[in-house]
Amino acid sequence: MKQRTLWSATLVAGLVVLAGCGSASDPDSASGGSKDKLVVWDWKSGDAAASAYVKKAKADFAQQHPGVTVEFAAQPFEQYYTLLGAAIQAGKGPDVMLFNGGGQIRDRADSLLPLDEYVRDDKKRLAGWEAFTKDGKTYAAPVTLQGHPIYYNKSLYRKAGLDPEQPATSWDEFVANCRTITKATGARCFAQGNKEGIGIQFFLSGLGSGVLSPTEYDDWIAGKRDWSSPAVKRVFSLWKETNDKGLNNDGANSTAMFNDAFAVFQSNKAAHIIGLMSDIGHWKDFAEFLDAGDVGVMEPPVVTAGATPSLPYDGGIGYAVAKSTKDPKVAADLVRSLTSTDALKPFYADAGAIVADRTVDVSSGGPAVATIVSGIDRGKPALHVALSSKTVDLMGRLSQQLLSGSVTVDAAVKQLAASDQAG
Amino acid sequence: MLRLWPLGLGVNFSFTGDGEGNGATVGLDNYADLIDDPLFRTALRNVGLLVLLLPVAVAIPGLLATFIYLRVPGHRFFRSVYFFPAVLSPVIVGAIFNLLLAFDGPLNDVLGGSGVGPVDWLGDPDVAMFAVVGVHIWATSGMALVVFLAGFATLDPALLDAARVDGASLARMIWHVIIPGLSRTIQFVVVTTMIGMLTSMFGLLYVMTSGGPEGSTYLPEYYIWVQQGQMSRPALASAASTVLFLIMLVVGLLQVGLLRRAGRED
Repeated sequence: MKQRTLWSATLVAGLVVLAGCGSASDPDSASGGSKDKLVVWDWKSGDAAASAYVKKAKADFAQQHPGVTVEFAAQPFEQYYTLLGAAIQAGKGPDVMLFNGGGQIRDRADSLLPLDEYVRDDKKRLAGWEAFTKDGKTYAAPVTLQGHPIYYNKSLYRKAGLDPEQPATSWDEFVANCRTITKATGARCFAQGNKEGIGIQFFLSGLGSGVLSPTEYDDWIAGKRDWSSPAVKRVFSLWKETNDKGLNNDGANSTAMFNDAFAVFQSNKAAHIIGLMSDIGHWKDFAEFLDAGDVGVMEPPVVTAGATPSLPYDGGIGYAVAKSTKDPKVAADLVRSLTSTDALKPFYADAGAIVADRTVDVSSGGPAVATIVSGIDRGKPALHVALSSKTVDLMGRLSQQLLSGSVTVDAAVKQLAASDQAG
Repeated sequence: MLRLWPLGLGVNFSFTGDGEGNGATVGLDNYADLIDDPLFRTALRNVGLLVLLLPVAVAIPGLLATFIYLRVPGHRFFRSVYFFPAVLSPVIVGAIFNLLLAFDGPLNDVLGGSGVGPVDWLGDPDVAMFAVVGVHIWATSGMALVVFLAGFATLDPALLDAARVDGASLARMIWHVIIPGLSRTIQFVVVTTMIGMLTSMFGLLYVMTSGGPEGSTYLPEYYIWVQQGQMSRPALASAASTVLFLIMLVVGLLQVGLLRRAGRED
């Protein structure tokens, strides 16, 4: 008995002595590859639609570095950041890794290599760098652009006696059109999926430029966010109103965005959806179920006078390099191969992704792609991408509470302001 | 050593910082953050809810086993049917019930047909946790049922025959004969079911609700996973893990006490 007590006391004493020494994550540990081998983590290389892209990129890199092996390890997207975080913390992370633009990469910038000196020549050719930048340093090179166009079903417009080539430009007109469509076809206005709290991100960014003034919009992106402004509150009250007035499909809080909400739109049960540009829930996906010519893309309707609608977009996905990689130059070259024009061409052609390379010809993509691409030059970064992961996570839960009525808009905005200011 | 060292590291990390404070000693700050976080408090409340729902989770397989033991018509068939979900992975079970419980799914169609309004099973914060726990009980009760049936094998049939001769109703037979006769089996099922509810619901939660709606279905292990992976806060996750460990320690000690008492009674 005495011995058992002694052991317990020793264990407790050991823990007390250890307490606070070391760290949970170890960004300085060696990465998974070696000098002759680069390990790449992503969630794309396993897709058939990306195989030609990966093949081209590997060939380009092999030409420059014939002695270096490249090993792609595709991970399931749902668990990607959990697995990546654990691997980095264990010092067994990959050399090169795929990131979504925004909070996820900024949160892990400490473990990544600034790429500015390696990608200088690609700066003009590629778009969407801002989403991979933190404190003036670039941590990934963009592969695709990600944005939130408002897609609409032209066939439902026609059935309701509306001109499908003239979608509404103001919110009131938009709602009136929706009422007409619902009356004529039974389809709801919006396909909405907020089971994971993602719907609010799409809503905020998809409609935000029609609500915020251009100055407020730019300030938001620059980090000067005034959460108490009427326009910001209007976005969240609009989110609630849209649901309360029956414009969304029923059960938005229990409908997954991927792929249930998209299925609602594709099956003619809703006339609009705020979708993506790359590379799921986008024009090419929808055109597999709807006639390609019936997939329209419209600008956000103006909710507040003085707002200037624009396409919300950022760098979608991009490859970054671990700080701990053995040879940064070689790893950066692989990133350059993965963002080369020759590699990105088949990614657009096979997956339908709007790639970050401005020189890739997309003229054969059809009217939806043409509308999206024409909006890129005067487009602005998406509003939700500027927020931290923590605030985005909180926004997801609050958005569900707004729909269920368990929080007011004022209270929700106050909580978001506090989270945003905390960083 | 192999068991204690990782445990010690986890506890140690819980006293360090995340992000820019990585590696720096922060004392009890992470624990203070946990107490302040309404999401973690919800996760702990849900642990309490699971404990409250434990009798239901034990009673259902117990009753089903009783019916099978008393040879209801088709009892062999039902034995297989009740056990079948036990061989399914939580991911499959979650996917199946996602379809069944969808707002426009078949269960709401049936409810709508019978004049009862649709229920947002996985989208209503007051309902979702019960829906997930219900599915968990559905999926895991087969194993408890097998344990109960094994317990019935040790029950003296003469007692039941005597009760029948005396004209006892089913409810009286259950209360006065079966429950006292199976007390050790019931205690064992209580212990194993509680462990299962506290440690094995992650898969179902992940697939069915992802902690939502409004964070209402969070459990500590899901919270740990989100903080570690999604929020990149391993030290905070370590603190939450330590709290979960302490909860499990208390539950474990209670279990040991329960089993010891049962042993003494025997």
